[in-house]
Amino acid sequence: MLRLDGVSVRFGGLAALTDVSFEVAKGEILGLVGPNGAGKTTLFNTISGLVKPRGRIVFDGRDVTSKALHQRARVGIGRTFQIPQPMHQLTVRENLEVAQVFGAGALEPARIDEILAVMELSHKADADAATALALQELKRLEIAKALAIRPRVLLLDEVLAGLESRAKRLFMLKLKELHALYGLTIVVVEHDIETISNLCSRAVVLDFGRLIADGTPEEVFRNPDVVKSYTGGTH
Amino acid sequence: MSAKPASSGATTAFLAGAALLVAAAAPIVLGLGNYALGLLVSALVLSGLALSWALLGNLGGMVSFGHAAFFGVGAYASALASARLGVPVAVAVPLGGVIASASALTMLPTLRLSGPYFALAILAYAQIFRILATEATPITGGAAGLQRYPALPTVFGFDLSTRTGSYVLVLVVLTLFVGIYVAIRRSHVGTALRAIAESEVATRVVGVDSVRLKAWMLILSAFMAGVFGALNAHVIGFLEPDYAFGGTWSVMPIIAAVFGGYHTVLGPIFGAVVIYLFDQLVAKSLIPVGHEILLGLVLAAMVLVAPNGISGLVGGVFDRIKGGRRHAAT
Repeated sequence: MLRLDGVSVRFGGLAALTDVSFEVAKGEILGLVGPNGAGKTTLFNTISGLVKPRGRIVFDGRDVTSKALHQRARVGIGRTFQIPQPMHQLTVRENLEVAQVFGAGALEPARIDEILAVMELSHKADADAATALALQELKRLEIAKALAIRPRVLLLDEVLAGLESRAKRLFMLKLKELHALYGLTIVVVEHDIETISNLCSRAVVLDFGRLIADGTPEEVFRNPDVVKSYTGGTH
Repeated sequence: MSAKPASSGATTAFLAGAALLVAAAAPIVLGLGNYALGLLVSALVLSGLALSWALLGNLGGMVSFGHAAFFGVGAYASALASARLGVPVAVAVPLGGVIASASALTMLPTLRLSGPYFALAILAYAQIFRILATEATPITGGAAGLQRYPALPTVFGFDLSTRTGSYVLVLVVLTLFVGIYVAIRRSHVGTALRAIAESEVATRVVGVDSVRLKAWMLILSAFMAGVFGALNAHVIGFLEPDYAFGGTWSVMPIIAAVFGGYHTVLGPIFGAVVIYLFDQLVAKSLIPVGHEILLGLVLAAMVLVAPNGISGLVGGVFDRIKGGRRHAAT
């Protein structure tokens, strides 16, 4: 479904990503793991088109490396941001309408109502502008907006960050529900080992911009290089 | 363009039509003289320019310090097309708008800039057009200007070159552009453009080609400004670069739109009429030389007291009254 071939990104003298290659299978929930500064968000920015890399990004058999951010949304790459980025002055419904009209190509009010219901935002749909939402609602809007473009792969950047443990568990269940309901392929950036173990069938680990492990969550979290990167070199 | 369902569209159109009729008939019924009508025509020309400036600011978040460029290009293009090529004025005026839009195409690279960088780049472009008009003497007449070109024509026996005719024509064109602005604002394209102003990445990541939409708004805004430049040129019958490309045409629409409230459609129009009449009837009589300083003070006061302009101030008062009533009823 999504393949990265030798993807590298440099910011001036800093190598943010170095020769990263892996593939995400259709229907998979893949965890993208690594300590702060490992390059996880840069990798999301590269896949979604915010950052231009060296190497190749192939989505559904098509090379999308040179496609712009909005073009990648239109082919079905949806994403969220760690700090939610709603269209601030629009209502929740308008946020989804814009996403659907431009990202999916046509307005389908019934589907918007369905997404609002699934993401538990129906009661906020036509109220104030998105700026008035609480953090959890903003995170749900962030996912709802990405769902509105009819994504085939969904990149979730630390959507569980900042949530207390009960809210985190509920949010995890919601992600599993979305995965089943829409038949999505999901890549999720997350720090928490327990979350990755519960949610993902596979995990890849980045450290200093390099891919250091790829396997089931159990395998990668037993990998000595991963343990070393998480503990700063001490076992 | 995908349109949103407009439940009250017919009512709005009816009210707008009625308002247009009243506005068109009022000065004639009141028997205003040529001087007063001339002032109103100039005020409406400024209204059109302020509307085109506000369209760019509202739908796409672009702040222009260079609308004089489009105004001047439209004015010169229409005057030259009618004088040198014999193009009928009725065709030359929209042609002025088209050529102003074409001049905006040269500014497309600036759309990749944001905030103050875009504003400064467009200011620089405006200066380039003024210099071109001054230096291209064989075509434009240079600093001496253009004087001999046709006035507005007579259409179906109605002489548009009279003050009354010009007033009605400018009002009709203004209303037409208001209709276009409202239609875009109500569409999903308009919703996306409103979002681009503050959340460009958030719009691009859901598939909005923000650069293309902003380009269309720049072209449309330039067309509107160019048409009003052309109309003004045929009303006053004289052009020179320092007038047609003067900083006034960049600054006055900003003052007018901010004064009236640029987030609304009618705010810039109302603001332009009030500001222009204040400048001509009050400021000039108080300070004949340097009267613009009073406009600066008005702008500073508005930014401090009512950053959303008069329309924001009035809207706030209405909201408070409605809120008070709701509170009393519960």
